[in-house]
Amino acid sequence: MAANQVKVRVWDWTVRTFHWALALLVCAMWWTAEQGFMGWHKWLGLGLIGLLVYRLVWGVIGPKSARLFRLVPGPKSLVGYIKTLNDRPYVPAMGHNPLGGLSVLALLTSLTLQAGSGLFAVDVDGLFSGWFGRYVSFDTGRAFSDFHESVFNGLIALITLHVIAIAAYRLILKTNLVGPMLDGQQERPSVPDGHATVHASPFRVLIALLIAFAVCWSIFSFGG
Amino acid sequence: MAYRKSSFTLCAAAVLGLTACGGGGDAVDPNAGSEMLSNGMTVKAQIEARQDGFKAIGAEFKTINDQLRSGSPDIAAIQAAATKLPEVSAGIADWFPQGTGPESGVETEALAIIWDEPEDYAAKVNDFKAAIEALEIAAQTGEVESVQAAAQATGGTCKACHDKYRLDD
Repeated sequence: MAANQVKVRVWDWTVRTFHWALALLVCAMWWTAEQGFMGWHKWLGLGLIGLLVYRLVWGVIGPKSARLFRLVPGPKSLVGYIKTLNDRPYVPAMGHNPLGGLSVLALLTSLTLQAGSGLFAVDVDGLFSGWFGRYVSFDTGRAFSDFHESVFNGLIALITLHVIAIAAYRLILKTNLVGPMLDGQQERPSVPDGHATVHASPFRVLIALLIAFAVCWSIFSFGG
Repeated sequence: MAYRKSSFTLCAAAVLGLTACGGGGDAVDPNAGSEMLSNGMTVKAQIEARQDGFKAIGAEFKTINDQLRSGSPDIAAIQAAATKLPEVSAGIADWFPQGTGPESGVETEALAIIWDEPEDYAAKVNDFKAAIEALEIAAQTGEVESVQAAAQATGGTCKACHDKYRLDD
């Protein structure tokens, strides 16, 4: 740690677990789709939906740094933040900065569209389909498949941007964003005023987990 | 240093520029495929007709698989679809006349290797026809387990052909 730096917790353990589990699952989903392992793709997809539901609920009831509504930046804060990118030394924002927040919203939105369209997708042979594929016609299912593929291309672009941005923060702004996503701690010159502790209340974690589980169970029960 | 300070903004702009260039489909000549085939169809009409044919096969096959996946398969629906499968695929052996491959310029996922290995291709088409015949017989018995096995075998014949003769998507 550089002199005069303090460590502040910015991400709770569930947000970090979500992040890395999601990264792994997205890779696994890509691989199983490429290989044509559609049985696995379907089950892993259900797990991914569970993760997404957890994160969306956590975005409402979780600690401040996990909340999603506050990620919608006003134009003022966005412009103000972009100006600070020219400061040297650059002082990182607490939690999501306005640009990073936009990135998270875009990623979560496209992941939700991706998972949602996958539920109704039908393969070209009429052999495999998503959990709800049997509730739609072959043509409708094929249209969902095409959409599923388009959204995936957008997702790849967003993930690429995400990784390049992290490298740029590291190389140009000398800010390590990977470390805090591992241990939750961010190094910074001082703790800003009014910083609330980032704490995952076990009771709330349980609520979010139960909702995620209920959604997965419903998909499993009504789908097939 | 001004140069150093603006490098982040430059980098970000470059990334945005790069990611924006991802789209754009393959260019297909809309006038391609107007040549007449010996069966009286144009190349383009033949390719589109077979694509419709495969979609019809996919739709019937989906009906069967949907029923098998549901908790309580509707055997009448399975029987209806199994009867329609040989009908909608009746001409399948003639769906790929010479000249209707990718060289035609018409958008198609059929690979040129189909016309390089006509015997193997014909054998795979026959496997499919035999499989849907068996599927129809299994459906008439009304036994879900036989239908399941026959549908799985049919899917295998779809895949065997598609893996080799269709563009990977």
